[in-house]
Amino acid sequence: MNKAERAIDELRGIDKLTSINSPMHRLSPLSKMALTIIYIITTVSFHKYDLWGIIPMVLFPIIGYQFSLIPVSTCFKKLRIVMPLVCCVGLLNPFFDKAVITYIGTVGVSGGVISMVTLMLKGVFCLMASFLLVATTTAEEICAALNKIHCPKILTSLFLLTVRYISVLLEEVANMTDAYHLRAPGQKGIHISAWGSFLGQLILRSMDRAQALYESMLLRGFNGVIDYPEKENKNKYSWVVAIICIVLIIFTRYFNIPAYLGSLAL
Amino acid sequence: MIECVNLTSKYADGTVVLHDLSFKVEAGEQVGLIGANGAGKSTLLKSMLGLIETEGVISFDGKELCKKNLADIRKMVGYVLQDSDNQMFMPKVIDDMVFGPVNYGISRADAEKKAEETLEKLGIAGLKNKQNHKLSGGEKRMAAVATILTMEPEIMLLDEPSAALDPHNRRNLINILNVIPVTKIIASHDLDMVLETCNRVILINDGKIVADGKATDILSDKTLLEENGLELPLCMAGVPAFLKKED
Repeated sequence: MNKAERAIDELRGIDKLTSINSPMHRLSPLSKMALTIIYIITTVSFHKYDLWGIIPMVLFPIIGYQFSLIPVSTCFKKLRIVMPLVCCVGLLNPFFDKAVITYIGTVGVSGGVISMVTLMLKGVFCLMASFLLVATTTAEEICAALNKIHCPKILTSLFLLTVRYISVLLEEVANMTDAYHLRAPGQKGIHISAWGSFLGQLILRSMDRAQALYESMLLRGFNGVIDYPEKENKNKYSWVVAIICIVLIIFTRYFNIPAYLGSLAL
Repeated sequence: MIECVNLTSKYADGTVVLHDLSFKVEAGEQVGLIGANGAGKSTLLKSMLGLIETEGVISFDGKELCKKNLADIRKMVGYVLQDSDNQMFMPKVIDDMVFGPVNYGISRADAEKKAEETLEKLGIAGLKNKQNHKLSGGEKRMAAVATILTMEPEIMLLDEPSAALDPHNRRNLINILNVIPVTKIIASHDLDMVLETCNRVILINDGKIVADGKATDILSDKTLLEENGLELPLCMAGVPAFLKKED
């Protein structure tokens, strides 16, 4: 199996996750989307030194994963390439912000270190929440939810076709890579001398394939917008659950739970 | 009725693909379009649906193919593409099947009902909720035919419908094609299938009509077929020499 085929498998793996029947999957797509957006905005809004305040925010994605019957490890496995990049954000902060703002025992911790960790956590939490939405909601459901809030249909169609097109492009890469390696045994990757023609062929083949798909859609009455199955009312308690979660998220933002627990201990 | 008059098609570089083709297909007729690779079969079918620009006149039931009538004609004509992968672009079979009818204003519930009936008729009801990428070549081909049948077209254009089908599915498809009461043009290299499904054959070579007549007459003319890069259908060729027992 070549890299492109593995990538296709990964994509299909995510598609497979969306077909699980769990309480989280049964929530309406629009409520899940609203919840995720509010969670991300709230998480990002924490002050860069508010490390203790942001820690309880991890509870929401973790509880979400439990209710979706998807192990949290799946998220880290699927996002293994993006996660380190997110963690790199703020890596330079300790060099620019050297003022000591707190102590662990007798060791002074600079503001740069605190802000770096806070930024990392923000990134990781937001990725976890986004993946939870993607793993429990199909692209069609997301588009239907966007249409419901009057997002232009042309944009949602474009989004859906782009999502669908990724696997078409990967299939072409997989076929071409296989064909190349069958005639270049023992070679690792594609030799630099073949890159030009490989990419050129890939573009031409992808364009042909895209054209054929588009023609097939035109012949079945496609007029620029795709109709999505109506699944908005699949759980009448969706919005109740979403509103409770939103209230708790906002409460966590304005009430420092670790500080309160600490004061109780004292 | 389908009528093509002086149909000519050229590539951007000036290469002529279809030369001045003229023919008529009466309502209810099943016409086989045969020819060697590159003869222009797919180009002709695509031209008939306005996917390729052509000179000449194409009309369906008196309605001339032009920008104004394009939507009506495409609603009337179902086209099964040569490559099913290009036809099946939605995640599940059922999504693909309702795509056309819903675009033409049928409610999703009605379209789903129609899709279920079609799948049942084709004997592939089990494919309804299957993901397209998990289908075998044969299943995908049958599902592609089903997507077109759900639209209840008055005319069907099929490009290599039996390609990638195993003998059982091929037989199933032939039986289905023989009972669907619509006008059909079937472009194929599978001359045995053409013989079983079509009463008339149009043989094209190099973008020109070489012969147009009764299927049995054209498909039994060994010289004509061989001159145009084809062979007799297997059922007419008899037992091959290497299989004959030595006396």
